[in-house]
Amino acid sequence: MAVAAAPVAAVQSLAHRAGIYGLLAVVLVAALLFVPGFASPTNLANVVTQSAALGLVAIGQTFVIAGGLIDLSVGQLLGLSVVLSCAISEGRSELLLPVLAAMVALGAAVGVAHGTLVNRFRIEPLILTFGTLSILQGAIFAYTDQSVGRPPAELVWLANGRLLGLPVAGLVLLGFAAFAHLLLRHSRFGLRLLATGGDADSARRAGVDVARVRLFAFVLSGLGATLAGLLVAGRLGTGYPNAGQGFELDAIVAAVLGGASLAGGRGTIAGTVAAVILLGVISNVLNLLEVSAFVQTFAKGLIVVTAIVATRARSGGGPFSARRLPAAGTAGRDAG
Amino acid sequence: MSPAAASAWSSASEALSRWAILCVLAVLYLVAIALSDAFLEPVYVGNILRQAAPVGIAAIGTTLVMILGCIDLSIGAIISFSAVLCAVLMAGDARNVPMAVGLTLAVGAALGAINGLLVVFNRDSSFILTLGSALAIYGLTQIFSGGTARGMVAPDFREFFNHRLGDVLPVLALTLLLLAAAIEALLRTTRFGRQIYLIGSNREAARLSGLPVAGVIFACYVISGGFAALGGIAVLARSGVSSTFTGRGFEFDALAAIVLGGTLFSGGRGTVVGTVAGTLVLFIAFNLVNILGFNYNLQLVLKGAIIVVASAAYARLGRDR
Amino acid sequence: MRLLFLSKALACMTVLGAALLPAAGAQTTDRALQKKQMAEVVDTKKFKKAGPYTIGVAAGYMSNSWVVFCLQHIRYEASLHKDVKDVIVTDAAFNPSKQVADIEDLVAKNVSLIIYWPVDEKAIQPALEKAVAKGIPTVNAGGGFSYSAGTVSNAFIDQWALGEEGARHFVKDLGGKGKIFAMLPIAGTTAAVDQLAALKAVLKDHPNIELLSAEYGDWNRAKAKQISENLLQRYPKIDGVFSPAGQMSMGVAEAFEDAGRMKGLTMSPGDEYNGWMKWVVKNQKGGAVTFPTRAGQEATKLGLKILAGEPVPRGLVIPSEYIAPKDAAKFAEMNKPDDWWASKLPEQFKPK
Repeated sequence: MAVAAAPVAAVQSLAHRAGIYGLLAVVLVAALLFVPGFASPTNLANVVTQSAALGLVAIGQTFVIAGGLIDLSVGQLLGLSVVLSCAISEGRSELLLPVLAAMVALGAAVGVAHGTLVNRFRIEPLILTFGTLSILQGAIFAYTDQSVGRPPAELVWLANGRLLGLPVAGLVLLGFAAFAHLLLRHSRFGLRLLATGGDADSARRAGVDVARVRLFAFVLSGLGATLAGLLVAGRLGTGYPNAGQGFELDAIVAAVLGGASLAGGRGTIAGTVAAVILLGVISNVLNLLEVSAFVQTFAKGLIVVTAIVATRARSGGGPFSARRLPAAGTAGRDAG
Repeated sequence: MSPAAASAWSSASEALSRWAILCVLAVLYLVAIALSDAFLEPVYVGNILRQAAPVGIAAIGTTLVMILGCIDLSIGAIISFSAVLCAVLMAGDARNVPMAVGLTLAVGAALGAINGLLVVFNRDSSFILTLGSALAIYGLTQIFSGGTARGMVAPDFREFFNHRLGDVLPVLALTLLLLAAAIEALLRTTRFGRQIYLIGSNREAARLSGLPVAGVIFACYVISGGFAALGGIAVLARSGVSSTFTGRGFEFDALAAIVLGGTLFSGGRGTVVGTVAGTLVLFIAFNLVNILGFNYNLQLVLKGAIIVVASAAYARLGRDR
Repeated sequence: MRLLFLSKALACMTVLGAALLPAAGAQTTDRALQKKQMAEVVDTKKFKKAGPYTIGVAAGYMSNSWVVFCLQHIRYEASLHKDVKDVIVTDAAFNPSKQVADIEDLVAKNVSLIIYWPVDEKAIQPALEKAVAKGIPTVNAGGGFSYSAGTVSNAFIDQWALGEEGARHFVKDLGGKGKIFAMLPIAGTTAAVDQLAALKAVLKDHPNIELLSAEYGDWNRAKAKQISENLLQRYPKIDGVFSPAGQMSMGVAEAFEDAGRMKGLTMSPGDEYNGWMKWVVKNQKGGAVTFPTRAGQEATKLGLKILAGEPVPRGLVIPSEYIAPKDAAKFAEMNKPDDWWASKLPEQFKPK
């Protein structure tokens, strides 16, 4: 029995360590070999283009999750960004930069609002951002219930075009990911963010300005959403009010599959991007294999559960741990 | 502040935060009456209770999970699946009702059991795990129903639940209240209930004291699944047809109701009474907006605003302890 | 600190601004223009190809029974043609980004023809145009007419005509006077916009009928019921309800029954939604103006004609027919679920 146990444990440990990258590699290889039509350059470029927007949102989400927070409002914020950018620009290229600036401001502003509410009022991020999700959704639909406006041609190119054969959206994602990676893993802010997520009290005692760090995490999440909204606007060619629905949950799934833990303190940009690509590949493969759409939803759920179980089962510590989400304020300890 | 005054304030604010939602409910109701005398009509109030029943019933079960410090995002999916399953089993015949309801309940509990097993063995991941199981269950619902709402509700079934006792209170609304009372009693008077609070407050300590932590977590997820199934049956009773996306969004409405009701995410606190009150607050607010003739989208904004404001208020009250 | 305040103010202003800006107006269809556009003949020579054909169906959503029946009609028609070897279906579940991705994936799979119903017509135009550019014809099936570069032809139900026919019968049943409200589908959709416009056009000739309110029940029975319950509270006298979608009509009727205000209420014709048909049989009120699910069949026929290089019109209307309450029994299937549509589909193609 012990003889058989050793290789099983070895495989499990390997699976755990390879984690999302291993899973992605396996799926990619299998798809390239066995799925007809997958390997064509057009199709591969499509998968990247289709995943870019989610990638931006998921990267933003990685920051908040690493900080021990969460942001459910990003989907509706993306939708607001889509609607506003199309409605304001109405296809005019000269408005590209102002629209870009406005969306950056919007994302930052919403992030600041979230951060302030969490810091000042100790509202649990999950419930706060669920509340702001509703507010944003209501605001979008109060403004319009059908598609409005058109994005500038540059955004359409950014979302769909090719540069030297590579999908531009993919390059945008890469650029954003590189910046985010440096920020999360190679800057003082990133270190402080991870420390805060891991244990806010210890971080505070070590001199970290926890409130500020949380604020910036929310700002990054907001930016991820509004910038992704610009890409989606380019992709759809119109300001569809419900464009953002579902992005928030997919982004959270991607971040967690990529290695972030909802308890905070962990997360990598590379892992998140790998997870986003994985989700895009799976969706594409299931379409190419003509799997019924209903089965696709079921499959996606199974994959999420299996991936979590497989990559977490040996994450150290006993089966029970004291916290799930660190409450923003328990018995007034966080003086942030 | 003198020590006596300080401790008096402390216990007063504790009581206030515990029953804050009831105060909010009372105030909101008074505001509603002031704005529209429809709210004085018992029939209308009965309507609101009936509307709130599916979300409320599902939220009752999930309250237990949240007192434990975990979360269950799959209840919306279980509601959808249960509605379709129950309708199919009933096949329009009143004689099938007990069997249909019983079997649906069992399936809901079984789905909850799967959630429970996943959570017990994968600590800290109840959010993402129940999110995954929600997707899988939605997929199953669609596969099972093939996109249409299959099955037929037996007419007497609907009539029974929509019948108004004393011409006022629909049976469905009464069901909500009775279930709430039953689970509240479970929480307050049984050992199981006490264990839930203890584990929610401090899981490590509970485990070290020898409490059957895994078993309690598992049991609460089973209850959550079972009550979600009841919620699905309630949807069927209220609207008579199960669309495949019946339960979509219910999980977050239930979550909002639970949190409004005073249950904390970190666990250890919460009551079913609070949850029901939270549900009513949400639905009174919705109907108020509707009856005043406002744009439907304002309901969403209002819902969000209530959630944010109430959470801030709770957090503030909690901080003073 | 000031930066904080400024950003918060900016966020609030944006959100409030979006909420308070006058709602972007819904455009109603220009009937004369649409008639002209529909009649245009499409030169399909560039799409001509030899079989065997694969039909791709890019469904914007599959979660309601009407589209499920529409799809079954597509499959049925496909089965009648030996040179159609496969029907591939993708479901965007109301997500336009996904529908764009689905269309791209279907193109990657080299389907011969794409039949679709959109989540949002404008949002998928770029993707459809790419398909057309690659020689894959696109046909819109369902409730709207799309005159754009990405859509080669349409097999559709004229929402305005449907609304108008229903409104005429409704006004007759009302006796030309009374207070009414309208229960419409998802706000902003062609269905909602055109049905309301048709009602208002008919009401112009009947000044004694007062439209109290136009509500949006999103094709959802429970929601229609909830809204009706509130309207019953707001308005002490309601003589009639204009509700062309049978699914919602059921919710409305229930609300009135519950409130004991069913007597003397005139219901407009709904559609041939089975649950509504059963209600009509039982209560002998209302009737129906059909919303035929065989639009899928007609779309397939159009698509195959295009593939054969034959000329087709830009828009083909599937006519709606009026079913009087006394004839409803012929169409209602009492032993089938409510969420069902009358059709001439052979048994093996009916949804399970």
